[in-house]
Amino acid sequence: MITNESSGDKFKGLIMSRIVFVLAVIIALLAFLYFSRGISIILTILIQVTIFSIITMSLNLESGYAGIPQFGRVAAVIAGAFAVGAIPGRIMAAFMGLPSGAEYASDTVNFKLVPEINSLLAGSWLISLGFLIMCLVLAALSGALIGWLISRPAIRLKEGYLGISMLAIGDFFMWVGHNWKIIVGGSTPVNVPDPFRMFGADRFNVIVPVFFVIAILIFIYLNKLTQSPFGRNLRMLRDNDLSANAAGLNIVKVRTQALVIGAAIAAIGGGLYVIYTGSVAAIGLTRLTFTFWPWAYMMLGGIGSNIGVFLGVFLLTILRTMIIIFRSTWFGFLMQVGIDPLWLEYTLLGAVIIIVILFMPHGLVPEKIAPMLPSKRIKKVLADRQAVSE
Amino acid sequence: MAPWMSSGLIYASGLALTAGSITLLYIVTRTFNFAVASMATIGFYVVYTGVTLFGGLPYQYYPFVLIIGAITGVICYYGLNRPLLYRKAAETTLMMSTLGYDLILLSLIQMYADFLTYNFKLFPRRVTMSLFDFELFGERAAAFILPVIAIGFLMILHFFLTKTKFGIAMRATIENPTLAGASGINSDRVYLVSWIISGGMASLGGAFMVMAMTGTPVMGMYTIPLMFAGAILGGLGNIYGGILGGMVIGLTEYAGVYLLAQQFGPWVLGYRMGIPLFIMAATLLVFPRGLSGIPLGKIIKNLFAGQKRGASV
Repeated sequence: MITNESSGDKFKGLIMSRIVFVLAVIIALLAFLYFSRGISIILTILIQVTIFSIITMSLNLESGYAGIPQFGRVAAVIAGAFAVGAIPGRIMAAFMGLPSGAEYASDTVNFKLVPEINSLLAGSWLISLGFLIMCLVLAALSGALIGWLISRPAIRLKEGYLGISMLAIGDFFMWVGHNWKIIVGGSTPVNVPDPFRMFGADRFNVIVPVFFVIAILIFIYLNKLTQSPFGRNLRMLRDNDLSANAAGLNIVKVRTQALVIGAAIAAIGGGLYVIYTGSVAAIGLTRLTFTFWPWAYMMLGGIGSNIGVFLGVFLLTILRTMIIIFRSTWFGFLMQVGIDPLWLEYTLLGAVIIIVILFMPHGLVPEKIAPMLPSKRIKKVLADRQAVSE
Repeated sequence: MAPWMSSGLIYASGLALTAGSITLLYIVTRTFNFAVASMATIGFYVVYTGVTLFGGLPYQYYPFVLIIGAITGVICYYGLNRPLLYRKAAETTLMMSTLGYDLILLSLIQMYADFLTYNFKLFPRRVTMSLFDFELFGERAAAFILPVIAIGFLMILHFFLTKTKFGIAMRATIENPTLAGASGINSDRVYLVSWIISGGMASLGGAFMVMAMTGTPVMGMYTIPLMFAGAILGGLGNIYGGILGGMVIGLTEYAGVYLLAQQFGPWVLGYRMGIPLFIMAATLLVFPRGLSGIPLGKIIKNLFAGQKRGASV
């Protein structure tokens, strides 16, 4: 009992020291970027961090906690992005008496419509807020729907098969969006009405805190969820699905629930991304950006640890941005032979995945198995029992 | 031949090789090899470099394709797969590790394309390889040559697996690794050879496929779902199943798109990827273990056995 406790404390201390160390590195890098490039680059990094930490946390729920090899994260992100690109703008257009049918997504109509909607949104903060909430709700609903649809045929497949079929489904969605003009304009991107239009030049300064609040709410929700009995079911399923089944757990049901919740959250991430960029181009929602990068973030941060995922996203996003902004000063030798240093981003992605797998399989912040009850309660229960037996 | 037939045949032979490569590696090492995508692209760039810088026909560079593909396989085995196999890593971890390797290869390919553009004033980002082909009987020669090469390659592989000592050792390791190890077979060598063969096969497959499609640095990235679809359709149980699966996926993609476009109009062309995926899903519903899981022998036996049919089922 005593040894358990002390080793548990040691483990906790190790995790804390690691978190502090990574945070220090992140702050140092941010300070360096701030003094060399100014505040705008910091804002861009923060926005990306919030969006991708939402997507990666949802991936963590499915792959980290439930053990589903989710190689089709992009499918749910696409669902959210398409929902935000296609539906709220149409509702607003119908509300204002503008064309809102199939022609809404046509490139000759859309670029005139969206500024009109924007001018309405810019006039009233209430409508803007309502629009933002409508976007998020629609994204979450369509994500949940897509997650449920994908889970139907896929749920009974085994590890690798499941991952590959999800990957194929994600790619297929991207091609559907790219070809079917009615949804988001096909190969010509569709514009998204901007709920932050009323802030004008301060748009970024407002987006960052709003997105951060959303990300933190999702973080709290996921933390509560994974510490609940449902979260323990997920971990049981991941560690040994046979014994979970023997213990009376309905594997298909629990997995489906994990997939639906994860897809809904990832879709919110996709919706936020689209609101931030202001347009939806189906061809830009690639497997590389929205499946493989989140996987790398999650593996670096630590599979099954939400705070680790957040740190992983933060650290890697800063490194990515640094490659982009310092490409000519740091990698000039590559440019001399005509090579664009931007490709180093892929090298970084691959190298992070390989290094993490080979040398630190648990990531920066290893998963902490929390006891079912707070330790004080457990001690009290034990003491009570002892008292009874004596 | 109709235009879709020759392109479809070329494309399908390439897809068959890549799907076979995925299957071979999966049955030997339990690794779903994502790096097949970049290995295929490397195969294309080897041929492209040879044809543009040194001239000649694409076919004469296929030996180099095999060698360089095998080298990328060996690097992946010693750098990544071997330590993980000895650690008994989970299937998903093995899959992720090859994904990391694939992305590094992809970045190198992109840099190489930049390098070719800048130093040799070439345009390696949109290449129509069939321009370098010659005509045979009024058709592209590739439609005849590539299936023959593919079949020849498979015959050599079959001979290697069934007639040579090492091939038999390899099959033994596939069937029962523990027993094979106990009878003195060096599993390390078996893994290495399977990486060499599958690396060569994947690169050759890419060099084939590009004769029917536009060669880009991301062509492997875009076609990898279909390669996996071929392997899964084949059942991931034996190499011939994987090759057959790749062939079916490639041919149905071309034939299906052609037929549907005639029926419904050219808008179908955008969804061409959906057809093979649909076929994969439909086949898996009927035969959960893929094409190689179809008990052909049993069916034939039952057909002739007549009355015993009920008893054996």
